[in-house]
This record gives sequence, C-alpha cells and structure tokens, in this order.
Amino acid sequence: MAKAYTPGLKVTGRITYRVRRSLPIHGEVLVKVGDRVEATQVVARTYTDGDITPVNVANLLSVPAGDVPGLMLKKQGDLVAAGEILARSKGIFGMMKKDAPSPAGGVLESISSTTGQVILRGDRQPVDVKAFVTGRVVEVIANDGAVIEADVMLVQGIFGIGGEAFGPIHVACKSHDERLDASHLTTAMKGAIVVGGARMTVDALRKARDLGVAALVSGGIDDQDLKEFLGYDLGVAITGSEQVGLTFIITEGFGDIAMAERTHRLLSSHAGERASVNGATQIRAGVMRPEIVVTLAADAPASAERHFAEGSLELGAPLRIIRDPYFGRLGTVKRLPHEPTVLGSGSKARVLEVQLDSGESVIVPRANVELIEG
Amino acid sequence: MREIRIPPSQAIVAGALAFALAALAVAAPPPPTNVVAEDNPWDDGSALRVTWTSDGTDVAAWRIRRTLGEEERRQQRERHQIEAAAQAYATALAAAKAAGQAPEDATQAATAAAQAAATKAGGDTLDPFMFVGIAGASDRSFVVEGLDGESSYVVSVEPRGADGGYGEAAISAEAQPAQQLFRGDRLWFGIMLFGVIAMILGCVVAARNGVKMRIRRIAGLDAIDEAVGRATEMGRPVLFIPGIQDMDNVQTVAGVTILGRVAKTAAEYDATIEVPTARSLVMTACQDVVQSAYYEAGRADAYNPDTIRYITDEQFGFAAYAAGRMVREKPATCIYMGQFYAESLLLSENGNAVGAIQIAGTGETSQLPFFVAACDYTLIGEEFFAASAYLSREPLQMGSLMGQDMGKAMVMLLVVIGVICTTAGALGSGQAQAIADFLANNVLKS
Amino acid sequence: MSSAGHRTYPTIDPNSIRWILATDCGSTTTKAILIEKVGDEYRQTQRGEAPTTVEEPFADVTVGVVNALTEIGELAGRRFIDEHGHIIRPATEKEGCDIYISTSSAGGGLQMMVAGVVAKMSAESAKRAALGAGAIVMDTIAANDKRKPHEQIQRIRELRPDMVLISGGTDGGNTQQVVQIAERIAPAKPRPRFGGEYQLPIIYAGNKEAAPQVREIFRNGFDLAVVDNLRPVLERENLGPARDKIHDVFLEHVMAHAPGYDKLISWADAPIMPTPGAVGDILQRIAARDKLNAVCVDIGGATTDVFSVFDGVFNRTVSANLGMSYSISNVCAEATMPNVLRWVHLDMDERELRNRVKNKMIRPTTIPQTLEALVFEQAVAREALRLAYQQHKEFATSLKGVQTQRTVGDVFTQDAGGGSIVDNMRLDLLVASGGVLSHAPRMEQTASMLIDSFEPEGFTTLAKDSIFMMPHLGVLASVHPEAAIHVFERDCLIILGTCIAPRGEGKFGKPCFSYRIVPTKGTAVTGALNVGDMKLVRLEGETAQVEIAPERGFDVGAGPGKPVTRTAKVGTVGIVLDARGRPLQLPATHAECKPLLQRWTSALELYA
Repeated sequence: MAKAYTPGLKVTGRITYRVRRSLPIHGEVLVKVGDRVEATQVVARTYTDGDITPVNVANLLSVPAGDVPGLMLKKQGDLVAAGEILARSKGIFGMMKKDAPSPAGGVLESISSTTGQVILRGDRQPVDVKAFVTGRVVEVIANDGAVIEADVMLVQGIFGIGGEAFGPIHVACKSHDERLDASHLTTAMKGAIVVGGARMTVDALRKARDLGVAALVSGGIDDQDLKEFLGYDLGVAITGSEQVGLTFIITEGFGDIAMAERTHRLLSSHAGERASVNGATQIRAGVMRPEIVVTLAADAPASAERHFAEGSLELGAPLRIIRDPYFGRLGTVKRLPHEPTVLGSGSKARVLEVQLDSGESVIVPRANVELIEG
Repeated sequence: MREIRIPPSQAIVAGALAFALAALAVAAPPPPTNVVAEDNPWDDGSALRVTWTSDGTDVAAWRIRRTLGEEERRQQRERHQIEAAAQAYATALAAAKAAGQAPEDATQAATAAAQAAATKAGGDTLDPFMFVGIAGASDRSFVVEGLDGESSYVVSVEPRGADGGYGEAAISAEAQPAQQLFRGDRLWFGIMLFGVIAMILGCVVAARNGVKMRIRRIAGLDAIDEAVGRATEMGRPVLFIPGIQDMDNVQTVAGVTILGRVAKTAAEYDATIEVPTARSLVMTACQDVVQSAYYEAGRADAYNPDTIRYITDEQFGFAAYAAGRMVREKPATCIYMGQFYAESLLLSENGNAVGAIQIAGTGETSQLPFFVAACDYTLIGEEFFAASAYLSREPLQMGSLMGQDMGKAMVMLLVVIGVICTTAGALGSGQAQAIADFLANNVLKS
Repeated sequence: MSSAGHRTYPTIDPNSIRWILATDCGSTTTKAILIEKVGDEYRQTQRGEAPTTVEEPFADVTVGVVNALTEIGELAGRRFIDEHGHIIRPATEKEGCDIYISTSSAGGGLQMMVAGVVAKMSAESAKRAALGAGAIVMDTIAANDKRKPHEQIQRIRELRPDMVLISGGTDGGNTQQVVQIAERIAPAKPRPRFGGEYQLPIIYAGNKEAAPQVREIFRNGFDLAVVDNLRPVLERENLGPARDKIHDVFLEHVMAHAPGYDKLISWADAPIMPTPGAVGDILQRIAARDKLNAVCVDIGGATTDVFSVFDGVFNRTVSANLGMSYSISNVCAEATMPNVLRWVHLDMDERELRNRVKNKMIRPTTIPQTLEALVFEQAVAREALRLAYQQHKEFATSLKGVQTQRTVGDVFTQDAGGGSIVDNMRLDLLVASGGVLSHAPRMEQTASMLIDSFEPEGFTTLAKDSIFMMPHLGVLASVHPEAAIHVFERDCLIILGTCIAPRGEGKFGKPCFSYRIVPTKGTAVTGALNVGDMKLVRLEGETAQVEIAPERGFDVGAGPGKPVTRTAKVGTVGIVLDARGRPLQLPATHAECKPLLQRWTSALELYA
C-alpha cells in the first residue's frame, strides 16, 4: 500500500479559496452575486435581540403576583426608559403607595401573573459579517450570508489565538529559524501582520499588543509563554473569541520550533501585500485551523510547486513529523512498510520511513506525520 | 480610733477570772506569746492574719476572738439598747397594769421607762470581743475574715485546755486590714484563665496565619441547604423557631445567628421563611438578621418582614400557635434553635406528622432526647454554640472555638488527674493524696 | 425501551436470528461488528471500521456505515450490502443479515441543557435523567445556581442545545419558580444546533400543576412535550418517562436533522440510541443479572464517561473536558503537572512536557512512539480517570431533601443526606474502555492505570472492553437480550484479573496482610505484604481461591482485621495484591515518588 490517508495543513501559493460568511442568526445580506468585495467590507448584517432584564415587580411592591397585571402603569410592548415607573401599588387608603422603577431601558416584553415578574428587552445589537477576503461574491444565501471566492495564497497554521484581523504583511525575521523577539518589533508594524521565524516569546507578544500590531505569525510558542500572555492555562483548543488585543498564529506547534522554510518563503514573497488572518482554531468535530490569506492579483503566476493528491501519503511526499522524538522535523516519505511494527513504547502500529531534510532517515508511526499540502 | 482600749476594770475582772479558773483546773494552759495581727496579704481587704507562738503544752485548741468594727459596735449598741428598752417596757407595762392604771397611762409609763432604759443602756460598757473561730492545737496562725477595711481590730487568742477550760488570753496590737491589687486565693483561677485566653489568642493568630483548623462535621448544619431546598421544591415555607426565651438568653442569640444563615439560604433559593417569636425583642432581632441576610444574598426585594411575627409570651399559647400553624401550612422544613422546655416535643412531633425535615438545636439537655427522637438532625449542646464558627469559618471564630476546646480539654485533664490521685490516695499513696488535696484545696477552690 | 420516532419496528423472533450487524457511529469512526450464531450461542466474529461521514464532503452518515459493513463483509466472506448500497435483509444462506441495529454519537452526540428549581434536587434529577439517556449536559440552570437572572439568560442564549429538559417542584409543590425558569428560557430563545428552521424540543418533567402555565409560555416557537414529574415527591426519583422521551425526541428531531440519519433510522431494526445510553443499558442489565456493583469507564479524546450501578441504581457522568487528546491540556491544567508527574518513574523535564501536552492537543491523532512518551501519556490518563471518578462519586449520590426517621440511639451518628452511593469496597467489577486503556501495549498497564486512579478496595475484578462493543450490545439487548449477554460474556469483556487491596492506612514498611492463593491449576502461593508493597501473582486457570488475613486496621471487606476467603478471577494479568493502603497517599514531590513508582512498576512488570 503506497498510500495512506493522513490530514495535513495547506501551505499554498495559489488556490481558489471559497469562504462562506454566515450570520449567526437570520438577517440581511448586503451584497449580490458577482459583486467584488474588499476584505473588510460588511457583506451581511443583522441585529441580535437585546439583553433581557427580569424585574420582580411583585416583590418590589410587596403584593401577590396575581395583582401585578392590575397595577402596571406600562403595557406590554411599551418602550421604557431606565428609572421610569413600571407599576405602582394601591397602598392603604391611597397612601403609602410603592413604586417599581425600571432598572434598565427597553421594551416591556411580558408581564406574568404567576411569578409577578416583568421582562424587559433592551435595544437590539447590530452584528456585522465582513467579507474576510477580497474577492467576488459567487453565491448569496438569503437571510444568511454569502460565499466569496478568490484566488489566494493560503497558509494554514496549526493553532491560533484571537479572531479576524487584517493588515499588510511585514516580515520581521529574515530567516525561518530566527526567534521572534521583542527587538524585532518596531512602531512601523502598527496594524500590520508580522511574520516571524521560530518561537515567539512572551515579550514579543506583549510588545506587539502594545504597539497595536494586528497579528503575529511564527513557527512556535512555548506553552509557558502562552500561559503568561493569556493569564490562564488553555484547556481545550477551541479559540477565536479571546479578547487579548492581538491575534497570533503558530504554524508548527508548541516549543522552540522553526517555521517551515517553505511557509516562511511564501509569506515573505507577499511582504507588503494586504492579508486577512483568523486565529480561530477548533480541533474537534468540524475542524477549523487558523489561516493567513492573501488575495492574488489576477495576473499572478501559478504556483510551480509539485502537487500531490490531497490527503494521501505517497512516496516522496513532503511531510512534517508531529510527535516527539522527532517533533517538528521535515522530510519526505522514503518507504511505506506494510506490516505493523513494534514501537519503542511497546505498541504495534503501522509506520513509515522518513527521509529527513537533514539527511538521515527515521522510522515513525504513520499517525505521527502530517502532509504539507500545497 | 475610739474605744479600742479595753477598760482596765474589765481587764482586771478577766484576769481575776482566768486566775480563778487556773486555780481550779490545776494545769490551765499558758497563754500564747507574740500574738501579732496583721493584714492578710493578697486579698480584698476583709481579713487579718493573726499569728502567735506557744510551746503548745496542754493546749487542745485556740479560741480566736476579735474586737468589733465601728459599724458592728454601733449595731451592737443599738441591739443592746433595743433589748433593754423592750425589757423595761414589758416590765413597766406589767407593773402599771398590775397597779390598775388605765391602759393609756400604762402605755405611756412603759414608753417612758423604755426610753429611760435605752438612754441608760447607751452608757453601758459592752463586751468588746466577739467570737471568730477555733484554731487547731498545732495551728499558729489564723485568718480572721469578714472584716471591714475601714476599721481597726484587736484579736485575742485564748488557749483551751484538754478539760475544756480556757487559759489566759493574749491580745494583739491594733491592726487594720488593707486591700491589695490581687487576691492570692484566686491565683490558680487566674492562671487557668490566662491559660485559656492564651490558647484562644494563639489559635486565633494561628488561624489568621492560615493554619488549617479542622472542625468536626455537624450534620445538622450541613443539612440546612438540603432542608431549605426541600421547602423550595415543595413550594412550602420554612418555619424557624428561635426558642421561647428573650434576647438575654445565650441560646436565643445562638439561634438567631443560625437564623441568619438559614435566611440567606432561603433568599438564594427564593423560599419563604416564617419566624414566629415568643418575645417582642426577639422578633425585632430576627427581622434585622433576616433582612441583612437577604441583602447579603442580593435579594433585598424579596425580603418580607411580615413573616417574622410576635405571637405571645405565654409558653403554651406560643406552642399552640406554632403547632396550629404547622398543621395548616404544612411547612416542608422546621428548624428549632434556642431554649425550649416542655413545648419541644409538641412542636417536633407536629412537624414530624406534617412530613417536614426538622433540624433542632438546644443547650437544654432535658429536651435533647425529644428532639433527637422526633427530628431529622439535632445539634447537641456545644454543637449548637459552635454553629456560628462552623457556618462562617472565619479565622477569628474558628480560633476562639479551638482555644475554648483546648481549655475544656485542660479542665477535663485536671478532673481525670484528680480522680486518679484521689483513688490512689484512698489506696494508701500519701503523695497522690497530697496532689489530690492540693488540687481540691488550692487549684479548684479558687 | 419505548417505540420511538415515526416508524414502527418489526417484532423480532429471537429464535430465527442468525446474523446480526451492529454499528456505532462515533464522531470520528464508525465501528461495525458482526454477531453470528455459532452452534447454540452467539459470538462476535468480525469487526470493521470506517471514518464517520457526517460532515462535509459526504454529509451522509450511511456512507461510513456502508463502508464499515463492506469491510466486515470482506472479512467474513459474506455479502451484506447490495449493489444499491442497501443492507441485504433478511439473511439467506449466502448473504445478508437478520437484524441491523445502531447507536450514534456523531456530531458530538446528544447535547442538552437541563433546568430545575434547586440545584441539588430537581435540577440534579434532570441532569441525571439527561446523562442516563446518553446526553452531554452543556449546562444546568437552577434557581439557586448563584447566577443572576440576566446571567442565566445570557448563558441560555449562548448555548445551542439539541433539546432542553425542564424539571422542578414536586407534584403540587413549587409552581412559581418552575414557571420563572420557563419564563427565562422562552425569551432567551436558545437556538438548536442543527438547522435554524426546526423548533427547539423542550421536555417538561416538573410539577404537574405548573404544566398548563409552562405550555402557555412555550406555545410559540417551541416543541414542548410534557411527561411525568422527575420528582413527584422528594423521596422518589422517577427518571424513566423523561429518559424515554429524550430518546424519542433524539430520534424524531435531532437525528432526523443530522445528515443521512433519516436513511439510517429507516434501516435499523431497533431505535437508534445515543452511544452512552446504550452502554448504560447493557451495564445495568449485566449488573442486575449477576447482582453486581459495577463501574465502567470510557476515556476518549475529548471526554471521559463513567457509568456505575450500585444496588441497582444507575448513574452516569460525562467529564466533558477530561480526555486524552483534545482535552489533554485541560487534564494537566486541572490535575496540575506535579500531580501528573507523581505517576512517572522516569526523569522528565516539565517545561518540555508542557509543550508536548499542547502539541498532542493540537494534533490529537498522534500516538506515543517512545517508552517515555507512553509512560507520560499513561500518567496523564491516571489523573484524568481519577478526576472523572471523583466527579462521578460526587454526582452519584442518594436523594437529597428526604425526611429521615431517627431514634435516640442515632444521637452521635447523624448522617447528612445525599452521600455518595459509590463505595469502592462494594465494587465487584471495574470495566475499562477507550484508547489509552484498551490499546495499552501491555494488559498490566491497563490494570495498573485502573488501580491507581480508581483505588478499588477489597476484591475487585478488573476487565476491559476489548473493542468497545458495549454500545452495540446495549441496543442488541433491547431486541435480543440472549444474544447480547452471550457476546458480552464471551467476546466483549477481557478479564484482566483481580485487584485485592485493603482499606486502611499505615506506615510504609509495617505489615499489612498475609495471603494464601490456591489456583484451580498449579500450586498454592503464600506470603505476606508490608504497607507500601505491591505484588503481581501470575496464575494459571480461570479462578483461584484467595485467603487474605489483614493486620489490625486494614479491611478487605469483612471489617478491620478480619480475614476473608473468596474466589477471585485470574484473567490475563493475574491477581494484583496492593498493600499501599486506601485512600492512596503518595508523597507530594516527584523526587520522593520516583523510587516508590519504580518499585511498583517493576512489581507489576509494567514496562518490562
């Protein structure tokens, strides 16, 4: 068997990229099929329901819940401002009346005679969805969103933090194995997507945040640095919604590890061009990897790299070893033995022989390699 | 100082009498020598200590007498005058009646005679000494107690012979008792007090510094959440009775502390809490505590003071109300925390009958068996008072609880030592008996 | 099992069944097994696997099912799938099968939100019902969960559950707060996970007197079902109706909206069950039949499920973020690295390990290549299992809020309600499944992981589910109990051995117990162990007669210091004598732990 299925990350100079941009709830799509859109352009918009504030009027007035509807000064559907009186008790002989003021503004949604509770709904909040990539609208899904297509350079990272960010690519590290330190960052990088080399340090992350860098991309990060920067130990790899003032993506993995040279070269070749990045990562059902996308000019040359069938392990295919003891090493498939082999750990697994870029060849389980797709 | 000197005539009489007695009983004991009265040290100024020397021949005991204080003398004279007047009155009245005088005249005459007798008696010389006590033959000192710090006293020591006759007395110089800063006889009490205080402070400091204090699980207090939860699920009220005594009763105070916790839980669960009280002051206190518990739980709007009511001071009137309330409202949870008497079983049996979870706590030992039998959980004696530390887990309270427990342990240890030594003493060990005596006479007496 | 969904299932004559196919559609793999009647008994003969195809590009779960069944067909030399891609039924001499059944946990399984009035009472019952039905409980809303109403509402809005279960109030009890909870859920309009169009199913199992108001609140935009109260009185829990309803709704709504499931439902001869629900069913059946107390653990990549049956009471917990790949980083965060390293007998660099943990998290499919990596992974597994079991013990409790009767004799022994019903001393059978346990290179490692993390006491039989067949058998048991039990006993469980561990603590080095083991074959073994020792006794034969005479203060089931004689299963590993004491106390630092670990590791021949 010369082929084996194994997942991989895309690092490609040219690919037709389709992205579906959807609203979380139904709303209005602002573009139509065929439109050219900019990455930061809003393609769909909707409003979420406002925040809900329950007010226990029965308790505020010290009356039984059943009396509440009769004591309301406001009707269902009325607009109420914060502090406005919602209901007033009858008091004793018209004296000692009690008021129930509204703690928040909004629309009075319901009045309950069982619980004596009144529900206020706050103002609607707009939710915008941007195009993410500069490209062409190829499909509009009514009330939901649009599909945008573009020819792009695409680099998938392995792990990221933070949401979507946009900016020009700025190469900070000249070499793919140079550590990304605070000293690499300058004020000129404000709003840019900064490409590093090997591990990014916590100082670099902090400085980047202070400078207002849009995103950092580098080979690896130390877990300790990540913990220090986030302020907590990340438990599950579902990210994208962090509010840390910065998006950052690692392309290889955790530890002191250099960015694949090809990735670095590819990103460097687009220096100065506007890129879109998304740090959102989800490594469970519905896998999501962080991405760096640059829309190519229409006349850009096609990538000259050799193509392998997607997701299959063939002799000669470029790959990355993704588990110790050879973690992070790159190489090509040299041999795909049939029979399961006993590993150092004592378990039996199917393996392959990898010709490392450094010249030697090693045996690793098939589960521990990742194709570099292009 | 007035009238402290013994009139010479009397001294002569006394001397003559003693001589006569001595002549009668061939071997009258010799008088003591060096009789000195001085202030008894380390006391509150109400005692003199008299010491004397003697070769001790033929002495069976010592009779101790002292002069009177100013106030005592006044009172003695008054008593003497009243006695004389009464006697004169009676004599005169009888004489006048016998003489056939009209009753009015007789009374008048008797009154006059009484007045005259009183005036005359005012001039009488009275016995300056009063009996204080008997000291043993081998004793050479005696503490004269019950004195007045304002007066000076003379103490007389008389030997008593084997035949019961008294020998010649010797008297001390005048002395006045004085008050000192500390009472020596309370030394051991002081030591123990400071010991307990030190333990409490030590534990509080330790607790503040993060030393872990373990407190035994008290199921009854842990069950509060569960009990209030039950009331919530069943949509019924929680009934809390803080005993039937007033706020000056420590058990009521403990009960109200626990009420604070129960009310907070009730506020969080949004359950209704009813607190009938038997004292108006307790009602006010409960309202305060419940209100602040609701504030603390962030449910100020849900607080309703109307459910905390004063019923009656009358023990069985209150019990009747509470029992009736239980039957009508069928509370899901009943909590009794405070001082209870005969109504304990009335309440808890009713609660049990309506199917409530019941938690009781009281320091009243006679009621505990009833609560234990009828309730789901019972806090027993000390558990009840430890509740506030248990519930708050505050270092200050935990430390003081711990310190108090150590103090109790110390007392228990003394008792055990005493029991062992007394037993050993009874079996013939002199040393053990000495320790037991020391414990009983010095340590525990204080 | 209720008849669920929009199709009726044929009645099955157990005697005519010869070929049974069962699949379990997991999130990543669809596993199929073939059960055949061999002579008079049923045996599992073949198994096949294929990637699950719920997501793009296939978006049809049956593709994976057909692939897995095709593989089985190839292995068995029998055709099960016809040229149209359908299962051939009924069986003939040469092809097809008699029954096809399936479970499913694809797409993250059944995700529910539950609500109740008091967190430890009706809300807990609701959670128990949902977990027992095989759901993952995303959140539990209760009137006293310390969240403010708007925080609760915010949370409800963020979640996208498959369905919601609402409970609260005894019958005739609390109405107000039950309605209040409903009033919070309704305006928050939680959106279902699959498809924006269908109405969110809500199951109401609370105070029946509040049902009309609840109906009113959920009149529009929801699909409300009212079933019997979970806690009609606080003294009794009535989970059955709610659990059945959850299964029905799962099939009718949730499954029907997942890609390809309509086809799968039409193929199956029994209602499709959520995978964990099926595991619970088979465990309950076995426990009831053999009068056992059993615990079963399934440690996966993302979650760890623990099932227990004690005195017939079933409990299940899902520790959502304790797993060996996606959640491995969370295990290390929750357990803390020093605790993980307690189980490592080698020197390792902590900083390096932290990076490795994260790398496993982002590349979950990798496997340990070196011994060192395996040792570390098994150390993490021990902590994950320990934490999961701890959570399970805290959840599996007796009912709270129950009135208790006491006598004066109880003065000093008042126990609070709601104590854990999990008692390791009374545990008879401990079953392990899930990658790290069932694929450990040596069975001794599996046994050791179970012993270290569950700390069984007394006599406990250890077993592993060879290929995680329990879900299949759970469904099969609902249509053909006999076949399910046959297969469970013959093929499903691999008995590892028996762990014998006294309860009690003592100083390491002091005598703990003496033993005499008489196997059915071979010679008797006698000896004595000191506190802190472990010993593996390898024996021949299936069972052995074991006599244990514990020292004072140590209890092997008959009370402290009392000797016990019992028959123990020998299994593939043997009898593990564990004199480390219970609860297990390990030194705090790695340096102090290491020599002990090395001793135990060699005693059990873990990494020989």
